Amino acid sequence: MSLTLLLDILIGGLMMGGLYALIAVGLSLQYGVARVLNVSHGEFIMLGAFATYSLYILFGINPLLSLVVTGPLIFIVGFLIHRTLFKRLKRLSPTMDAFEGGSLLASFGLLFIIQNVALLIWGPDVKGYSYLSKTVSFLGALYAANRLVALLFAILIGIIFYYFLKRTRMGKAIRAAAQDVTTAQLMGVNINFVLGLCFGLGALMAGIAGSLTSMMFEITPLIGLPYTIISIIAVVLGGLGNILGSLIGGLILGLIGNIVMYIHPGLSLIAYYIIFLLLLLIKPTGIFGK
Amino acid sequence: MRRAISKKIFYCMLFSLCSILMAMIPPYVSPYTIILLNSIFMYIVLTVSWALFSGPTHYLSLASAAFFGLGIYVSAILGEMLPLLAVIALGGFISFLLALLVGLSSLRLRGMYFTIFTFGLSELIRHSVQWWEVNKTGTVGRWVIGVDHTTVYYVMLGILLITLATTYAIKHSKYGLALLSIGESEEAADHIGISVNTLKIITFAISTFFMGATGAIMATRWSYIDSSIAFNPLFSFMPVLMAIFGGVGSIFGQILGAGVLTLLADFLLTKFPYYYMLLYGMILVVVVLFVPKGLTGLKEELKRWREGGSVNPGRKDGASIHPE
Amino acid sequence: MNHRAKFFQLAVYIILSISLITFPLTAYSQTKSAKTEKIRIGTAISLSGPYSAGAGMTQIPNYNMWVEEVNAKGGLLIKKLNKRVPVELITYDDKSDIGTAVKLGEKLILEEKGDLLLPPWGTAMHFAIAPVINKYGYPVMGPTVSSENLREIALKVPYFFGILNMPREQGAALADLLEELGVKRVALIYVADAYGIEWTGKVAPDLGIKKIDVVIFKSYPGDVKDLSPLLKTIKAADVDALLCMSYPGDTFLITKQAKELGLNPKVLYLGVGVAFPVYKQMFGGPNVIEGIMGAGAWNPRVAYPGAKEYFERHVKRWKTEPDRWASAFTYASLQILEQSIEKVGSIDRKKIRDTIATQTFPTVIGPVRFEGGFNVQSPGEIGQWQKGEFEVVAAKEKRTAKPIFPKPSWP
Repeated sequence: MSLTLLLDILIGGLMMGGLYALIAVGLSLQYGVARVLNVSHGEFIMLGAFATYSLYILFGINPLLSLVVTGPLIFIVGFLIHRTLFKRLKRLSPTMDAFEGGSLLASFGLLFIIQNVALLIWGPDVKGYSYLSKTVSFLGALYAANRLVALLFAILIGIIFYYFLKRTRMGKAIRAAAQDVTTAQLMGVNINFVLGLCFGLGALMAGIAGSLTSMMFEITPLIGLPYTIISIIAVVLGGLGNILGSLIGGLILGLIGNIVMYIHPGLSLIAYYIIFLLLLLIKPTGIFGK
Repeated sequence: MRRAISKKIFYCMLFSLCSILMAMIPPYVSPYTIILLNSIFMYIVLTVSWALFSGPTHYLSLASAAFFGLGIYVSAILGEMLPLLAVIALGGFISFLLALLVGLSSLRLRGMYFTIFTFGLSELIRHSVQWWEVNKTGTVGRWVIGVDHTTVYYVMLGILLITLATTYAIKHSKYGLALLSIGESEEAADHIGISVNTLKIITFAISTFFMGATGAIMATRWSYIDSSIAFNPLFSFMPVLMAIFGGVGSIFGQILGAGVLTLLADFLLTKFPYYYMLLYGMILVVVVLFVPKGLTGLKEELKRWREGGSVNPGRKDGASIHPE
Repeated sequence: MNHRAKFFQLAVYIILSISLITFPLTAYSQTKSAKTEKIRIGTAISLSGPYSAGAGMTQIPNYNMWVEEVNAKGGLLIKKLNKRVPVELITYDDKSDIGTAVKLGEKLILEEKGDLLLPPWGTAMHFAIAPVINKYGYPVMGPTVSSENLREIALKVPYFFGILNMPREQGAALADLLEELGVKRVALIYVADAYGIEWTGKVAPDLGIKKIDVVIFKSYPGDVKDLSPLLKTIKAADVDALLCMSYPGDTFLITKQAKELGLNPKVLYLGVGVAFPVYKQMFGGPNVIEGIMGAGAWNPRVAYPGAKEYFERHVKRWKTEPDRWASAFTYASLQILEQSIEKVGSIDRKKIRDTIATQTFPTVIGPVRFEGGFNVQSPGEIGQWQKGEFEVVAAKEKRTAKPIFPKPSWP
């Protein structure tokens, strides 16, 4: 195996992994803190992708710049959904298990709703645009420029978010809530706001990932669910509730997926599921789980 | 109020009467009604058998599609070689065996972990079968021997009646109580002396028997199947939704939920082809938020509202998907 | 629970009860609508799901346009009634799901009591409804199905006709063309679907017979997002030709990624989607796709009467060109249907079926005749984009232009 091929597999894997990491962190915020296993997570990715696409096609706005608009929008949507739907559900549920089950079902409902709305607005056809699709040579192998940009962007977001979590007060509040919601509340954290914030941030991550996706791939209203599944696997891989663990989980999945793709393109998903199931059987708390 | 006849005898008579009536109707209704009824029977069986295990124990299984699909494949592969009833029984038994395996391996998993495990398993089976059929046998898509709709009707009716009878029997036996106590507190149940693991696995396996048998007969309805049809995740989600919609605690609720939602889907699919997903999603959200105990729960709430008195959201008769 | 919530619950309960009661009534009233006033043609086709892109491109616009054209004339000519009867098109969404397609097909036949049925999109879907339409005696011509398996069951489903080019002939045409161009080593990749498997199954042996080496032979899942690992491997293998039995999504993906990676074999052949009008523009203009070959071969300049006019009508009505493959076949199947009804003089489905099976019909794809249930007028046809037009380059006798070989570099 030549060094170029090895590098190729690694870098290609990290490119997808960067995307997966973003999405996984998003879901981890929603599940780890707000305790909502949001199966409609992928739909926010799809929305982010289409928002960027529409802005580019209709107004010619640079996809990376349009994040300034689409980002806050998706965040607000996520925040509001939590406020109206999940907060109410939490109030009605007698136990945490009940809430988790109910929110799982409610997020299924969201999935159907969002997908149908997207189908109505944009139609079922494959859509795409060309942005930074020139090929660049990086360490001896060829990549589309937009992939490198996406990777850099994901890394940037990751670093920003890391500092946000570790250094800011709000970040501390989130980490506290992720560990133990009741104690955090006792310590003075405005828990409702933090939960909503986390859900919104989760949606934001998905939206950003979606925007980056739209630069690299063609999009349809159906692209959401496969990403949701990958993010669930990544979150479990990193340990349910461990936000930074899910980031690593995403990177690992990206790498493994790419390696398997060289063997046979159809096996990546199967590989993910096998890893997932084995993990649940052997160490359900994940690689970094407590 | 003293009843003239016991509840059990009443239900037996009602059951027999309904069975006889249902068995008599095929010559008198249109062919499409039979097809529709077959679909309804199918979903009732899936819902009731799902709720047999997942209802009282609160272990939300999302693997129904795996067992249903297994039955379909048994039919597709063996349909030409064996008589119909043998294929159906085999579909049930192979599902039973697979469920034993699944149950044994996932013993330690609780709550959300169990749920996503079952989902992952179902999807793994779907993708693996497809990959195998594409790359190894080149047989994506198989033809199934067709069987006329009326035969399917009688077979499904039979499976339905057996499922209902079995579920009722288990529910009202000591095993039913044991399952409920597992759902309330597994540790406590273990302490009392209930062999928790055995009961969980066996009940799970019994429930999948009916799913597999149903798959085997319904395969004949589609004539052409592949792994995306057979193991379609919707066959895992819909029974859950239907049970919750109708009321997980009671068999009647499950039947009601399955019946209403199947009819609703048929209705929406043809009258609102562009919106039915939206409507279905909204119903899901509304049900979860406002009607968590399902239609039957609603009936009870109404009765209590009319009779006055305080409203008690927590009830200990297993009438909700949530542990109380 | 507070009173507002209970009120909501009550409202939900009432709404559901009402819908449950009204449903049987509305369904019942549907079937009572007068039959002789309109000819009701039903179709369950993919309005959503992965097949919807193809359906929306190839069949749905043609179905609708044809119905409009027919009704503009007053309807279909029913000689027995001595008048024209307008047509009503009932469209259901099969969600790209086979189970739904079967159920809706039965519903259209048994409950809606449709007079005729139009087929869905894609090989798998046609397989699904073939038993249904045959059981109830509805003649159907499939414009987006291409499978040798159908040839095997053709005897059992006399009401089903395949009008599109079949894998056996397409494979032969492709292999002949490659041999003529002197191609020696190919990479063959295909979508993991009935269509991909079949076409590859037919092309591979033909290539073997011609001593063309298949060095890479891989399938990929239909919803694949990234084929760059596979394409990089192919580039390293330095093949003369890359043949992809692909569906629209992957056709676009492969083209895009091949360009990004600088993968430029002497022959680049892709499946469904190359003939789509969007293909011309989506990579930056027609010059980018110069020399790419694809399944199908039809353009407004083919020498069949009505072809050019059909093309122009489609552009006028839908502001977009028809695709240069199955669109024309779809429209042709509708022409055949109309002509058969006129010949029979009524909506006698058995007689219509027999007419289709035995006569020759002038259409936009040429004079079509069915033998053993399959169109024999259109054996293998391959097209190639040249200067913004999809020229016919195979079979040799039908060429509208000479093939460009090798494929020019990506601009």
